[in-house]
Amino acid sequence: MARWHVVCLGERVIFRDNKSFGGGAMPKFSWSLAVLCSAGACAADGEDKQLSLTIYNKNLALVEHIRPVSLTAGLQRLEFAGVSAQILPETVSFLGSNLELVEQNFDYDLLTPAKLMEKAVGGTVRLVRTNPATGAETSETAEVLSTTGGTVMRIGSRIEVLREDNLPTRVVFDKVPENLRARPTLSVLINSDQASQQDVRLTYLTRGIAWDADYVAVFDEPKGMLSMQGWITLQNRSGTTFANARARLVAGDLNVSDSEDTWRQVRQASAQRSAGRESSARPQLADYYVYPIAQATTLANNQTKQVSFLEAPAVRASKGYEVSFNSFDSGDEPVSAQVRIRFSNSGTAGLGEPLPAGVTRVYARDSRGAPQFVGEDLLGHTSAGSDIALRIGDAFDVTVLPTVNQTTRVNKRTTEYQVSYLVRNARAEPITLTLRQDELWRVNEVRAESLKGRRTDADSFAWEIPVPANGETTLTFTLRQGW
Amino acid sequence: MRLAGATICVAMLGAATAHAGETHVVSPRPDEVSVTIYRDLFALITETRTVDLPEGPVTLVFDGVVETLIPQSALIAETQRQVVEGNFDFERLTRASLLRRSIGKKLLLTRTSRATGRARQVAATLLAAGPGGVVFRTADGNEALLCSGIAERLSFDELPADLQRSPRLSIHLAAGTPGIRKVRVSYLAHGFAWKADYLARLDGSHMDLAGWITLRNLTGATFRDAEVQLVAGKLNLLDSEEDRGTSPFGRTEWMSTDEGLDSHRAMQLEEMIGELEREPPDVEHFRGCYPLGIMPASLAGDVIAAEDIARFPDENLAGALQRAAGVEGEELEEIVVTGFRASMAVRENLADYQLYRLPVRTHLNARQTKQMAFLQKPAVKIERFYSLRLAWDEEMPEPVGNLVPASIRIGWRNTGADGLGEPLPAGTVRFFERDQGRELFTGDARLADNPIDGRAELTIGRAVDLGVTMDGDPGEPRFGLMTLLTRRAYLPLRLRVVNAKPQPVVFEIRQGMLEELEDLRVIDASQPPQRKAGDYMWRIEVPANGEALLAYKVGGRIPDWDDE
Repeated sequence: MARWHVVCLGERVIFRDNKSFGGGAMPKFSWSLAVLCSAGACAADGEDKQLSLTIYNKNLALVEHIRPVSLTAGLQRLEFAGVSAQILPETVSFLGSNLELVEQNFDYDLLTPAKLMEKAVGGTVRLVRTNPATGAETSETAEVLSTTGGTVMRIGSRIEVLREDNLPTRVVFDKVPENLRARPTLSVLINSDQASQQDVRLTYLTRGIAWDADYVAVFDEPKGMLSMQGWITLQNRSGTTFANARARLVAGDLNVSDSEDTWRQVRQASAQRSAGRESSARPQLADYYVYPIAQATTLANNQTKQVSFLEAPAVRASKGYEVSFNSFDSGDEPVSAQVRIRFSNSGTAGLGEPLPAGVTRVYARDSRGAPQFVGEDLLGHTSAGSDIALRIGDAFDVTVLPTVNQTTRVNKRTTEYQVSYLVRNARAEPITLTLRQDELWRVNEVRAESLKGRRTDADSFAWEIPVPANGETTLTFTLRQGW
Repeated sequence: MRLAGATICVAMLGAATAHAGETHVVSPRPDEVSVTIYRDLFALITETRTVDLPEGPVTLVFDGVVETLIPQSALIAETQRQVVEGNFDFERLTRASLLRRSIGKKLLLTRTSRATGRARQVAATLLAAGPGGVVFRTADGNEALLCSGIAERLSFDELPADLQRSPRLSIHLAAGTPGIRKVRVSYLAHGFAWKADYLARLDGSHMDLAGWITLRNLTGATFRDAEVQLVAGKLNLLDSEEDRGTSPFGRTEWMSTDEGLDSHRAMQLEEMIGELEREPPDVEHFRGCYPLGIMPASLAGDVIAAEDIARFPDENLAGALQRAAGVEGEELEEIVVTGFRASMAVRENLADYQLYRLPVRTHLNARQTKQMAFLQKPAVKIERFYSLRLAWDEEMPEPVGNLVPASIRIGWRNTGADGLGEPLPAGTVRFFERDQGRELFTGDARLADNPIDGRAELTIGRAVDLGVTMDGDPGEPRFGLMTLLTRRAYLPLRLRVVNAKPQPVVFEIRQGMLEELEDLRVIDASQPPQRKAGDYMWRIEVPANGEALLAYKVGGRIPDWDDE
């Protein structure tokens, strides 16, 4: 733990350790300082002894600070600076031994010149005036009466508005009110049975921290191989830096529409993860995957951090062309075929890992071997052994021109469609296009076809259409559908 | 040796991103850079950087990456090490960020007497800095900055460690074999665009077709001696905000037509250009004060005066501050590189797209627009014809006296035999004709991606001296003997094509679907029809200053809508 400091509110003196102190010797030193100024309104405030983050998919994290404090007997206030600025105050829980929590406050009343003056109403400030001709300074005391529209002051027996003459006048405040701060601070009012030095635990949920999985895949088409790398991307927009945190990530879709419900749910799970039973903690998270991050990590505010969690250098993959039509229409301009990269995350294919949901960006190599971006697709939570077909884009050189040659009414509820699909391949190698006719009506039947197709489900058919290099193939079929 | 300047080894600082005990290797700039621009307002930047890796775990810092970088797109190759962690955290150095990061630090406050010119310096501690203003403490007590009317300025001893001059990407690598490596890092970044435009000079049955690429760099990054590529193709893209994808204008899957995609891109580009001209929203001024009896306007003035900027130890920092303060306006720079055959962009296939490579390395400056030729095809065989389509969703000809003008169409087939045979990325084609020795603009049209062998047909306008009228009123569909049983009916049509031109023309008439009849068929045509895109189609020669007649019947079924 790097830094310790003790804030004594009465004097607002900040003791800060020197970097030359070793970690082990530090706590004692700080405590002694804390004891020195622990009378009255003073409260001890240290850096975390341990900081843990449990980060969920949906812009939500559970933060646990363990901080050493020294307590006196009786009523006192403890301050925790450096908590998340996006804390959900209703989710705070504070734990210590032999103490009673009286009240807790989350102060984010920022210290600004205007607030400073506002809080000085009824009190006195010092005015230092500068003579514009000589530069000589004169000092006097003023009582602040009002700050509405201008600062009205009583100086001796006179009432004046501050700087109405536009002449240089400094206002000097002796004190900064204790609840005006530069950083968000959580304070708790506690009643302790006895003086003690102990570690207290503070947990809360916060917004502004999120993680997502991202995949970068380089597709080697000639070899039919995909080199895949999985990253966990952590983003901290909470307004606070979390230093040396033990982080773990929970994959799964928690219900976060109601933050109170979520909190109850999460607290239950974390309560059962008691010390010494870490191995059984994972099943407590039921249907979610948990990814611990091995090293303690620092999550700076406004930082995007990526942690590698998957490396699969050789996954068997192939490229396919697909197009689907969900109605019968003629087109003047051809439709581009979709390009898909197909692979499986099974062990035999070279992957064998469940994949948490994320964006997969696909790269291919150009003629000089440099990777170029060729498209991206969204991958859902995918368990191991699934077949995956990433849609990366539309082919420039593989197009389909749909034509409805004739429609014929068969009966009141049934129509027959004679259609043709002209598939053109301007590439230098032969391809196979999968053409799907889907979203058909309840009754459907192929009456004639130029290539043998197959029924894929209750309301769709598919044809595999081979197209020679720099050539074209026409698929024609007659389909009857009704309801 | 180049390497000495390219890598610096520093001991670990107390930086927020550091791992205890790790060495930092900073690469200040890339040795080589390549920029591949996509039509979807982003680019892939590939940098080659030389670094000297020690044996132990190391934090590799790539300084000077493009600020609009999408961190999760990064691809690092050739390190021969395991990548443990990557970080991208960039807070632009501004007056506000400098103040915010200096809260709690000791600063020097200088007060200069306007009367005597004497400067007095006092030690100060910064207590708070935010949009509401700045509060500091001196031995005197607590005061607000810029509220007293005295010439005051703050000086900082050093830059806060985590406030960077330029955006950086840092990568933690596991331990491995030490040595000098050429590391390649690729990443996507927003703020780039390109489009294709064509100039077509029509000359009878041929045209000269020239293709131009216009590329834009809307970012503040400058690329020296960069390899520049462009990708033509429709990539599947996810929305950068909703899905954490790459597209700044929404999911491409939901834009079913090319026109839809184009208009989304165009709108987003407008927005990006608009943002350039506005002050960045993240530049805050931190200039609040308590209520005063004077007009707030007279408080204006920067804490960091111009002379202080000049005194900053580092001129980059001074420049950055000047830019942040808007002292030096960066304007859109427009550079046109005229294209010669020898320096045209070269095409190659990239996966299922087309990739165009600029033939020579070039400087791509911040906020720059560049133009470049990529295609020059003289004497491309074209077909110029006139057409009219009869369908429920088109303008229909009416009985005599009301002439529907014909569309002027230019068609070609993208083959080598016809003088083309090059994939043409989508763009606007502007047509010109020579008229009495002068160039005349005769219309433009949008060309969709046109692959080799693909046919293109564009409408460039409407003819004034050529049209179609209908002979007699076709009225309602006629009933036949069996109509009551079969609901079959027919509509007789007699079309008269009138040509007032002094030369014969080819006229295309198409019969599409009609509202009145379903299961449509053409029967009893005076000339046998062909088929085109589901329509019935005729090609008719119309003599100079003459007419041509076409008669046919449209047969079909009267829809029984009430059944549905």
